[in-house]
Amino acid sequence: MLNVLSILILPIMIVGIILVGLIKKVPVYESFVSGAKEGFDIAVRIIPYLVAILFAIGMFRASGAMDFLIYLLSPVFSWMGVSPEIIGMAIVRPLSGSGSVGILADLITQFGEDSLVVKMAATMFGSTETTFYVIAVYFGAVGIKKVRYALKVGLMADFTGIVASILISLWLFS
Amino acid sequence: MNKIWAGLIIVSFLFAIGSDIRDEWFNIHKNGNPIEVMVVNENAISFEQNIVSAKLVGEKGIQELVLSYSDSWPTKFVENAELRGKARETLRLTVVSQKGDQISALLPQVHVVKLRAITTAAFDMAETAVKIAIGLIGVMALWLGLLKIAEESNLVRRLVKFVHPLIGKLFPDIPKDHPALANISLNLTANILGLGNAATPLGIKAMEELQKLNKNSDTASDAMCMFLAINTSSVQLLPPVTLVALMGVGVSELMVSITLATIISTVVGISGALYFRRKSRKMEANYA
Repeated sequence: MLNVLSILILPIMIVGIILVGLIKKVPVYESFVSGAKEGFDIAVRIIPYLVAILFAIGMFRASGAMDFLIYLLSPVFSWMGVSPEIIGMAIVRPLSGSGSVGILADLITQFGEDSLVVKMAATMFGSTETTFYVIAVYFGAVGIKKVRYALKVGLMADFTGIVASILISLWLFS
Repeated sequence: MNKIWAGLIIVSFLFAIGSDIRDEWFNIHKNGNPIEVMVVNENAISFEQNIVSAKLVGEKGIQELVLSYSDSWPTKFVENAELRGKARETLRLTVVSQKGDQISALLPQVHVVKLRAITTAAFDMAETAVKIAIGLIGVMALWLGLLKIAEESNLVRRLVKFVHPLIGKLFPDIPKDHPALANISLNLTANILGLGNAATPLGIKAMEELQKLNKNSDTASDAMCMFLAINTSSVQLLPPVTLVALMGVGVSELMVSITLATIISTVVGISGALYFRRKSRKMEANYA
């Protein structure tokens, strides 16, 4: 049911907006095009910020430093009765959106959709956003370089979301 | 942000160097340890029960076994090539000695694996960044176009009137009828409905409006920090499309846990933003 709702929203919104526009006598095609033009400028403005974030994170993962972090944190997780594989998701979630999707897909292949690890990872995935990416894109689009406390708060929210996901999953699914 | 960014890069570099030095010290890749292969015929040798096509070239004393890539290469050869960044290329083994059908040969030496890996990653990611940005162009164009229609139909203004009492308190710096609030509401609504694709361009529009209210054009305003806090803590009541695709029917069960966790993270995010806002106001007052 939820799936149907999810998929329905998009087409309804698109058609809805255009219908309302027509009713209000808005020149829908022309308005659309004039609004759409900005898409290009914004996307291009974001590029330097994306490059900065992605290349730093890419190096971090390729160097093995991330695997080492996971290795260091494993004992804590095993003690909690949680598969250490979840650490990968916990660390990558604030760093990379596509990375998180990859990890989730990988966990599903390894453990199956009904396993605690996968449910916990999916909860982590759904409950927070990729802080570094959001900062790069949103602040980058308007040229903001000094982020002040935005990063701190973002990471605090991510950390809380991850811890909450772990505890809630343990409570609901085990 | 500066320190974290520089930190990620420096740590990666140190790790890579450390890892490679450790490889050299313990000769993890066994450079200089020959492998044993058997000659099957003129065009093939066998290694650990795998037949590999190979040609012996050169004169006595300086001979090489030239192996052209094939999908059936034994793991050891594949790994050697990949570690040297030369996957699927022809492998040349240096012959050390030959006793009848048995040849002792050296695989090409493997060094600086991690340093090579981080360099490749850096350039690959730079390319990926551009691909992502270009991919964004289409989605942005689509939603910004629709948004323009909605703006001109006054849909947006009506939405603000509805949403303002709810979120006005979180953004006290935004004047009452400013379009920034409208765009923020649209972005949050898109997020709540699980429409990540729509949310991004709407969020950027919101940032543009907030930037117009911003006194220092290169520094994040309090409103921007609050907006970011709400966005990054992710407010979603309907499952994101990716999750539906990956998890199938099981998503409904997950929505309970996701909603609980996301509410907690959002509350923390908002509280954090409010706290730092008050703190920075106090500091400004002290200096005034």
